[in-house]
Amino acid sequence: MNEVCFKTLDQKDPWSLKTYEANGGYSVWRKILKGEFTPEQIIDELKTSGLRGRGGAGFPTGLKWSFMPRNADMQKYVVCNSDEGEPGTCKDRDILRYNPHSVIEGMAIGGFVMNATKGYNYIRGEFMEPFYRFEGALKEAYAEGLLGENLYDSSVSFDLYTHLGAGAYICGEETALLESLEGKKGQPRFKPPFPANVGLFGMPTTINNTESFASVPDILAKGGQWFADIGVENSGGCKLFSVTGHVNEPANFEVPMGTSFKDLLEMAGGVREGHTLKAVIPGGSSTPVLTAEAAMAMTMDYDGIEKAGSMLGAGSVIIMDDSTCMVETLTRLAHFYYDESCGQCTPCREGTGWLYRVLKRIMDGNGKADDIDLLMGVQDKIMGNTICALGDAAAMPVESFLRNFRKEFEYYIEHGKSMVKG
Amino acid sequence: MADIEIEIDGNIINAKAGEMLIAVTDREGISVPRFCYHKKLSIAANCRMCLVDVEGAPKPQPACSTPISDGMKIHTQNDKAKASQKAVMEFLLINHPLDCPICDQGGECELQDVAMDHGSDVSRFTEGKRIVADSDIGALIQTDMTRCIHCTRCVRFGAEVAGIMEMGGTGRGEDMKIEPFLAEGIQSELSGNMIDVCPVGALTSKPFRYELRSWQMNAVSNVARHDLVGSNIYTQTYKGRVKRIVAKDNESVNETWISDRDRFSYEGLSHENRLLVPKIKVEGAWQEVEWNVALDFAVRGLEKNVRQADQLGALSSNTATLEEFYLLQKILRGTGSENIDHRLNVKDIDNTISLESNIKLAGLEGVDHALVIGSNLRLEQPMINHRLRKASLSGASIDVINAMAFDFNYRINSENIIAPNQTALTLASILKSVLKSAHTEVPEYLGNAEVTEIATQLANQLTDSDNSVIILGEHVINNPQALSISNLISEIAQKTNSTILNVSATANSMAAGLAHFVPGKGGLDVNAMLAANLNAYILLDIYPQYDFHHSVQAIEALSNDDTFVISLNSFKDDVVSEYSDVLLPIASFYETSGSHVNVEGKVQSFTAAVNAPSDAKPAWKVLKVLADLLELPGFHYADSMQVTSEIMHKSYKQHVHDENIDITVKRGVNVIWQKSPYAVDVLSRHAVSLQDTKIGQINSASMNKATAKKLEITQGDNYLGVPVSISESVANSCVFVNANHAIRGQS
Amino acid sequence: MISTTAKKQIDNWIAKYPTDRKSSAVMEALKIVQAENENSLTPEAIQAVADYLDMPGISVAEVATFYENYNHRPVGKHTIRFCHNISCMLNGSDDLIAHLEKKLGVKTGEVTKDGLINVKKVECLGACVGAPMFQIGDQYYENLTADKIDEIVDGLK
Ligand SMILES: Cc1cc2nc3c(=O)[nH]c(=O)nc-3n(C[C@H](O)[C@H](O)[C@H](O)COP(=O)(O)O)c2cc1C
Ligand code: SF4
Ligand code: FES
Repeated sequence: MNEVCFKTLDQKDPWSLKTYEANGGYSVWRKILKGEFTPEQIIDELKTSGLRGRGGAGFPTGLKWSFMPRNADMQKYVVCNSDEGEPGTCKDRDILRYNPHSVIEGMAIGGFVMNATKGYNYIRGEFMEPFYRFEGALKEAYAEGLLGENLYDSSVSFDLYTHLGAGAYICGEETALLESLEGKKGQPRFKPPFPANVGLFGMPTTINNTESFASVPDILAKGGQWFADIGVENSGGCKLFSVTGHVNEPANFEVPMGTSFKDLLEMAGGVREGHTLKAVIPGGSSTPVLTAEAAMAMTMDYDGIEKAGSMLGAGSVIIMDDSTCMVETLTRLAHFYYDESCGQCTPCREGTGWLYRVLKRIMDGNGKADDIDLLMGVQDKIMGNTICALGDAAAMPVESFLRNFRKEFEYYIEHGKSMVKG
Repeated sequence: MADIEIEIDGNIINAKAGEMLIAVTDREGISVPRFCYHKKLSIAANCRMCLVDVEGAPKPQPACSTPISDGMKIHTQNDKAKASQKAVMEFLLINHPLDCPICDQGGECELQDVAMDHGSDVSRFTEGKRIVADSDIGALIQTDMTRCIHCTRCVRFGAEVAGIMEMGGTGRGEDMKIEPFLAEGIQSELSGNMIDVCPVGALTSKPFRYELRSWQMNAVSNVARHDLVGSNIYTQTYKGRVKRIVAKDNESVNETWISDRDRFSYEGLSHENRLLVPKIKVEGAWQEVEWNVALDFAVRGLEKNVRQADQLGALSSNTATLEEFYLLQKILRGTGSENIDHRLNVKDIDNTISLESNIKLAGLEGVDHALVIGSNLRLEQPMINHRLRKASLSGASIDVINAMAFDFNYRINSENIIAPNQTALTLASILKSVLKSAHTEVPEYLGNAEVTEIATQLANQLTDSDNSVIILGEHVINNPQALSISNLISEIAQKTNSTILNVSATANSMAAGLAHFVPGKGGLDVNAMLAANLNAYILLDIYPQYDFHHSVQAIEALSNDDTFVISLNSFKDDVVSEYSDVLLPIASFYETSGSHVNVEGKVQSFTAAVNAPSDAKPAWKVLKVLADLLELPGFHYADSMQVTSEIMHKSYKQHVHDENIDITVKRGVNVIWQKSPYAVDVLSRHAVSLQDTKIGQINSASMNKATAKKLEITQGDNYLGVPVSISESVANSCVFVNANHAIRGQS
Repeated sequence: MISTTAKKQIDNWIAKYPTDRKSSAVMEALKIVQAENENSLTPEAIQAVADYLDMPGISVAEVATFYENYNHRPVGKHTIRFCHNISCMLNGSDDLIAHLEKKLGVKTGEVTKDGLINVKKVECLGACVGAPMFQIGDQYYENLTADKIDEIVDGLK
């Protein structure tokens, strides 16, 4: 446990440069500055490591970095996505608070690989404590000569800046994030062109999640194979899981990919006394909900969770025990997507409000017999029809809640009250 | 780009790699529904209406933003495509009021059309529709934002075409609202195009509001005559009246856009001030009479008063049609007079601009540099300015020499605010710099010009650009060194390989040139005529207090007791009544057939969209009958087209290059006098809604503090009848007068 | 409209972006200007930011109304931003919000009579392991209970 991103967690001032360096931090960066690494080597190691993007989509990081036109004669950027807004997710906050230098080093390495001399870390606007921590780390790194121009007289330059959000879940979507960084509303861009070609300020840009960047230095220090071996086939390394909801000891755990859900639940102290597990959302609010049964049989890796019928997402495991009203829970999630839709695409702008209003009506005791079909129909019409994945994210919980817990909805519609809470 | 083959609905189609799918389907006539896509705007891909099925893609793809690649197989009509389109349509309609019968867009609504083809019959949405509060955005555009479908075409139009971002999407999600920031009213001179781009009834024409349904109207192709472009339009008419004007596509002229002036001036047509019946003045009193009586009176008046041919003069406003100019000069020349002129606003005809344009409108987009001299191009020639803006957006550098700072809607490289009496010297200095760096001999007349830093920069820009244009505007017409200025410009253009665009005389003045509506050998120009106390005049749609530079002298001359004046006018005017002996009511814009000649010399003919009101007649017919009554030969025209073709078979070469260049700085205060953008001619002056806009209210004599002091006036005073506005953006010793003598009243 | 100190702060942000990309600083500029204008943004304030950053007013208005953290109506000196999303809800945030409302005598969205506090229900603040939680100013307060809330709120001045 806690081998990579959380390596310094139990040490004194885990966020300081001193602690970071005492744990081997910046060794890779220093090697790069001495010319002991080539971009190709780094990409190969990353590919070997099996690191997949920790922001939710799980795209292989090595492959992503190889897409950048590193030799194109223009400014290129690396951008870190610390917008962390997916309900249930709170891991990047802790990386920024307790191990900011790993993100800085990871981004610097990315800058070197992709020949991008400038980077921005987009931190959600509410994360002020992490922001100050990260700013502090930047100061240390600059003071130590680890950031800036022609570092240690090499030809390598890397400048890193923070940017703060102002409250919009959609800005976690990478192209909305770029828009936001450019001082606009966070409305996702359509693709193509992809950010690797036309990104920040119109220049080639690579965006990765905080945890993805934070994992890079150790992978290169200890080798891609070492990382791959921690995990399982198709899911290299270890991963942070935020276990929240109805557990005794909610927390972030950095565990090997492939850990069984059962073990993870145990680490979090199990469900509350006197209750039994009812349902699990394994990857954050946008991933399909699972029944207790399906969850208990699952391992925590990309394929394992997919086999169980959901997605690993950002690794945000939301635990619900038998006291949970699924109608209420879905309504709350539907409200979230309704509230956070950027308003750009028709299906999402109009559909999220429709979903929420129907659910709210059911909660108010005014459900109609065909509302379940209606909800299923509406989510199906949003799914796949929007520019970004927020539409899908809004549709998936609706589909999975209704599929797995249909009875509760039927009961609510028929009786005008919750089957669970009465 | 590479030629490739793709398959759409089973048909093999050739296209270019990277083209957007919707461009291909549009070209091939395959219908793909869309709302946010507009061929002249950037791609937004937000409405999701154009979703089609691309084989191999898991999700349906938007045709507007999917670049095609070789071998792509696309289905626009299969179940997957249709299901997506139907889904999007359902979402669009849940919050859209289904009140087509009372909506002004009814019958020409893209949403309505697409809903018919792609919608489902019953909506299952029962949650209550969104209502959006409206804000007043000015006199021209009516909003009904509950109908808005958030396609953002209007927003993109503002940001990309108009060049001032006025509309925006505020709020988020379902609460997103398309609106301007401050409720000051939309300011753009092109704002009406938002009405055209809005696919639904959210933005409609305010003057047209609640009038009619599109299908009740006839649409007639027409050409607007307010400026040098001759924008193509449709006049939409109902029961013999013009009810609305919309843009007509013509890539080489106005693309898809028109100016607000062209769109809304038609309101003036039904103003109460229209002149409706022929009148003659008998012993000082006006009598309404039949046409034949009036014409007879006119002919007898001419016979009686014009004892010598050169005692007759003809003057015309610049909005006349090509044929009208031609017939009137033909009458004059038929009677033996060469006293013909249309340059009423020129102070000194011997010292005025003579410059031929040699660039096409579309070519303007391609320049890499422009030097604009003496023009507030945006408000004077909105569509020409739009082309230049496009050039600017694709990287052209634009320099300006003006007597006052104006609000350009693109980046200006250097804005040189120079007093009018320094203009010639500045150009001389540029020319000298050009010649020096080409190591060419510097002629004597440039001797005094000092090569300043600014001049060197401007000269280098012109020399270093591959494709530069010099644009000369209205403000120089009455510069004391206008002729020198125009000669200097043609020298500079020649030496720097630049093209020239002369926009100093606007409206249909190019037609006057083509019709040779200028004095011939021995003839008098306008000012000379007025000074010569002629015995008789035929005046074509002239309103002396607005049209003449020397308006006081003009009115005086025309009011002579022994001067017989025949006035053909479209509107009533007290001063005209005062000095005229015969008043012949004529057709205005869109009520007559004829031609406009634009700045590139393109002759665009049009037919009448409606009849002139009451007894008013097209001027070309009146002139033809007058000629017949005067028993002049060669007026056997059955329609105006025959006149047009006669003109096209003649050619006049009129410009004589004058080498006179005088660059000495003349002392004194210079007044640049210009009509306000929405008071440029009699029709626009009578268009009430235009007058209610910000642009319509421009009416000021601007000068800086020092000049005001010299003239001993202050803010709040009037200067030349126009309120004084003190502003440091005006060059020294210069008063910039923008006069708006608009005529209020009912239409 | 914008104080010299605020301008300095904004300039620090502007310095992070390429020289022709001043508008990237708009979000922080709005935040800074909001902070010195009783925590809300008037149209004049928005226009002032637009002028300072050479942006069209409407573009700044778009940003100011898109993001959650800007206010367009008067708010309290302290805004309690209470998360009511899934993890917090599962841990009783609804009851605690009701408790807070009762304690303050206001509903969410209203400001206490003394102008000190208003409560806002917000979506996930990314601190789910500490649910239920809320934010006041820059500070997160986690693992809330009714007692803890009372103590925090009583300490607000
Ligand atoms: C609605 C939405 C919200 C998202 N929010 C986040 C987020 O808060 N943090 C994040 O890293 N990625 C988020 N993503 C995923 C990003 O778009 C992107 O895939 C990710 O930052 C890429 O980094 P990675 O490859 O390292 O995962 C979100 C995606 C969507 C569609
Ligand atoms: S007002 Fe019209 S053009 Fe503008 S976004 Fe709405 S529907 Fe589109
Ligand atoms: S036309 Fe393609 S998404 Fe709107």
